[in-house]
Amino acid sequence: MSKRTQRKSLDYIKKDYVRTRTMPASWYLSSYKFKFNITHMQPFLKKLKEKKLIANQCSGCNRVFYPPRLVCGQCLVKPDRWVDIRDSARVATYAIAYLKDPESGKVVERPMVLVHHDGADTCNIAELNPDIDVKDTYIGMPIKAHWRETTEGGMMDIEYYDAMEDDAKDVEYK
Amino acid sequence: MIKMGRQVAVVSAGFSEHASKRSDVSMPELVNEAIIDCLKNVPSVGIEDIDGFVNGNMPAFEGSNIPELWMTDWMGARDKPLLRVTTGGTTGGTVAIAGYYNVTAGLPGIDTVLAIAFEQQSQGDTSTGLASVAYGEISILNTLGISYEHLGRLLSAGAAIGVAAYQATNYMSKARITEEDLARVVVHNRRMAAKNWWAHLRMPDLTIEDVLDTPYVQYPLRYGMLCPASDGACAMLFTTEEKAKDMCDIPVYVNGVASVANETAVLGYDGSGSCQTDPSAQIGGMRSSELAYAQAGISFPRKEIDYAEVYSPFPNQELMWLEKLGIFEETKSPEMYETGVIALDGELPVNCSGGVNSTNAIGASAMERPAVAAQQIMGKADNQVKKTVHTSIGHGWGGSLNLCTLMVMSDEPKRKWR
Repeated sequence: MSKRTQRKSLDYIKKDYVRTRTMPASWYLSSYKFKFNITHMQPFLKKLKEKKLIANQCSGCNRVFYPPRLVCGQCLVKPDRWVDIRDSARVATYAIAYLKDPESGKVVERPMVLVHHDGADTCNIAELNPDIDVKDTYIGMPIKAHWRETTEGGMMDIEYYDAMEDDAKDVEYK
Repeated sequence: MIKMGRQVAVVSAGFSEHASKRSDVSMPELVNEAIIDCLKNVPSVGIEDIDGFVNGNMPAFEGSNIPELWMTDWMGARDKPLLRVTTGGTTGGTVAIAGYYNVTAGLPGIDTVLAIAFEQQSQGDTSTGLASVAYGEISILNTLGISYEHLGRLLSAGAAIGVAAYQATNYMSKARITEEDLARVVVHNRRMAAKNWWAHLRMPDLTIEDVLDTPYVQYPLRYGMLCPASDGACAMLFTTEEKAKDMCDIPVYVNGVASVANETAVLGYDGSGSCQTDPSAQIGGMRSSELAYAQAGISFPRKEIDYAEVYSPFPNQELMWLEKLGIFEETKSPEMYETGVIALDGELPVNCSGGVNSTNAIGASAMERPAVAAQQIMGKADNQVKKTVHTSIGHGWGGSLNLCTLMVMSDEPKRKWR
């Protein structure tokens, strides 16, 4: 694990520049209050509380947006149809992040995945179950949403995704 | 008949030296360095011959904004028309395109335009800049009730690397390549950079093993594969066809430009985009190449293009862009790196300046690509390719991972009958 934490840099041809005056300065950046419009996704948030997933569909191109969108970027119309989607999904793509635990200082490997829900045309970013081994993650891996015990009506209600048994025969690279 | 604008030519390009910390110069001095280098190549042109200026850098990276107001004298732009264009990662590309537009529009009295792109990243905090730039995307997840702290975990490696890692996994599984293929691209770039006077990471003796020995930042990207953060500036001089012939021996004609944005394509930040389910699809890039090639009359990119400069901060992107820009067939570019088609003396040399992988002054990077591509046609490039270059392309990528700029240049003007 130590090899992952040390930063070994590669040698390159360096040139020393004359150091001129450097004046330190820091801006006090004020805190911001960003505003969001969530009126278009009220039905979605309500259903999340019941541990159900819905998505909205564009009437122009029939694409299903999960999570719901206010505007379809392709047709520039408001998606106005609500459709049910399943809580099973597939890994569209993934990357492995190396997180440093603030308490123990150990580096933990966590796969961060893009989740493509069955029945939806778009993806969202999520975490996998921490028990899943990093090496077992692959593109096209079937997964299932794992709900929190108490739901509040937000995307955080899905804590992480559990692995499902892969019975697909055409997946060659695991 | 389609009425076209004036034919535009590039007569010169100039660079400042790039390094991780240019502690010897301030930002205006850095810009001045590039302009002096640009004008040095065209002895007949003085600063009084330049009619207009376009400049740009990444906003909020240096902690000081609106640089064009206090940099005017250093650019020689006093009492002259001045524009600022900034589009994030593609700033350089759009500044070059804005310079092209200024000349092609045919405004009275504006014939020669100097385009300048620069960045001094050591001065400020890049992550603060990125956080404010990326907020437009991140806000969508906040809308869904995901807190900022949780987001920090999901995107732990920071904006650009975090996203490129997803793209890399996807590309690697699509093209069936290993990390060794990625390292090979890095070695090509850094060795080429060693022969380039202004490049930043110049590593003449780098090997694939050295790159693979470095730790992961985010799988599958290792520390040795990432682009540096540089200080540097770049300038390009655009003028009309008639004036260009007096200014230099081999004027480079700009025959096609395009800047295309796809839908917001950042991973799950926003609920749409064709690149969402596949971050390496990049339909915006494909569309930009279609547009620019159509303007330039290129039907067979692989055969007609002699030199390509693509924007590739991460090695997987270099492979991906060569396919998306129509130069190689899908999933075939790793093979081209293995067989040496893209080498300096190869059939189609790529990124002989070292590319963004070796030098990345963000605002300037996307302009350095067309600038080097133009220099290769003029025969004035520092790392000149062995064969004669007639047509070359300079590509830029950025925005919120979905904006592509492309400039197609040739030593022959656009055919008028088109």
